[in-house]
Amino acid sequence: MTEPLPAWSEPFADPKGSLRRSLRLRGLTREWAWGGATGKGVRVGIIDSGLENDHPHLRGRVVENVTVEIGDGEPEVVNDGAVDMFGHGTACGAIIVGLAPEVELVSIRVLGPDLRGKGSAFAAGLEWAIERGLQVCNLSLSSKSESLYPIFHDLADRAYFQGTALVSAANNVPAPSYPSLFSSVMSVAAHAEPDPYRLYYNPSPPVEFGAWGVDVPIAWKDGGTTVATGNSFAAPHVAGLVALILSKHPGLSPFEVKAILASVADNPGRRRAPRGRTGGPA
Amino acid sequence: MDQETDAALAALVAAARRSDVGRRLQGDIETRLLQSIVDATVQLFDAEAASIALFEQDPDRLEFRVAAGEQGAGAIGLTVPPTQGIVGFVYSTGQALSLSDVANDPRFNRGAAEQTGYVPRSIAAAPLLDEQGTVGVLQVLDKRGSPTFSLRDMELIAVFAGQATVAIGAARVQRDTESLLQGVLQHIGPEMDADAVEALVAAGTQGLDADDEAPFWRLVDQVSRLRSLTDRETALLADVLDVVASHATRSRRTGYGR
Repeated sequence: MTEPLPAWSEPFADPKGSLRRSLRLRGLTREWAWGGATGKGVRVGIIDSGLENDHPHLRGRVVENVTVEIGDGEPEVVNDGAVDMFGHGTACGAIIVGLAPEVELVSIRVLGPDLRGKGSAFAAGLEWAIERGLQVCNLSLSSKSESLYPIFHDLADRAYFQGTALVSAANNVPAPSYPSLFSSVMSVAAHAEPDPYRLYYNPSPPVEFGAWGVDVPIAWKDGGTTVATGNSFAAPHVAGLVALILSKHPGLSPFEVKAILASVADNPGRRRAPRGRTGGPA
Repeated sequence: MDQETDAALAALVAAARRSDVGRRLQGDIETRLLQSIVDATVQLFDAEAASIALFEQDPDRLEFRVAAGEQGAGAIGLTVPPTQGIVGFVYSTGQALSLSDVANDPRFNRGAAEQTGYVPRSIAAAPLLDEQGTVGVLQVLDKRGSPTFSLRDMELIAVFAGQATVAIGAARVQRDTESLLQGVLQHIGPEMDADAVEALVAAGTQGLDADDEAPFWRLVDQVSRLRSLTDRETALLADVLDVVASHATRSRRTGYGR
């Protein structure tokens, strides 16, 4: 665990260098993958700082808000107000709604007063999302706690086997963190090209996908907006695309979704076609 | 007391002295190290300010310890709740983050800005992560050459945050007298149980009177600073001490220098 790891975004800084190899499945195009899709019928869990339901950028797409209470005993998931302690969850949710306007968002707040980013709250929130059968979960946070490693590992497996796609931001600091580095999750780092559909597949894990995460205009606290940089904002771009794919092709497994994303990625060597409204070569 | 315990106690008193010296110097060293890190950060980014906040308990808060840059001074001593703002977010999640266009949103970070008298346009912050979790946050405000922070900037800030974490960890271990003493005792008598060690630590740290031993402390302070010498410098120092020692012997014989 002490080996220094490469900077996660490095492969995406120069796609022509290290992203030459990519999967090319004949007939598998962006048009097939998500053309015409809106995210309808897909519920996405935002495991974060909460969602400000009435934020204009969330367009009324929040259907439920819960949080984790940590008393003396086991963490308990309870109803929560439509609040966002930092603005970060709202930012992630709004990116997803921007790509998949008819998606339904479920806020699972694991940050804030009394939680202090406790890994156990994070794990309890993730477990709840999996048990609820949400099709996608956006995890723009991760835990460095070695003691939670087996718990997150178990949860990642459960999600994978039952068909909940976990999309996780790689920690911006290149150090081990979970569950973003597990093989079953879709781990995302940032690239700097200002295009929400621009997606790279990195054949050298653990971070497998690159999405826009630099100078991203985002929704923020109290109905506001700002511009932000971080892998936190790259992950929801991928979560949004996953929601689109699942709304058009319900029931695909996380493995199948990953393969589709890899196949339609913008890695060099791809035959370029005019970019349509699906955000890339058809 | 048997002979072994006497030896242990003697070693303990010596260790306690050293550790006391370490502790006396320590606050200073930690602050100086952290200060040098924010100084370097401000220089490298040509930023308006860089600062480091450390987590403190009772009540839970992030306290700005050091700051650099033209707009940095106002931050020192400022405390913010770990549940608010960018610094709170980075502390709570361990995720580095940067925001720009901050000044355009008057609601953002208003509290801190009012306290420091400076409203930044852009902020980048990285967690100070050790094995146990996040111990603090390094924050950089307003890079002059650019309205935003790049991915490379974020990586560099993370490197500086890593240095700060190492500095804090090293200082804390050294400052912890008990852990040093217990280490010494366990080295001397591996079979001693925890209670015996604790009793000896209590005995050994009693009666160390700094005022009575001022010249001694001065010497120890100097010696404690010599740890970073190279072998060659150590050899030179040994030669110098030889001269001083023979001078002292001569002085004692002749009464000179008293």
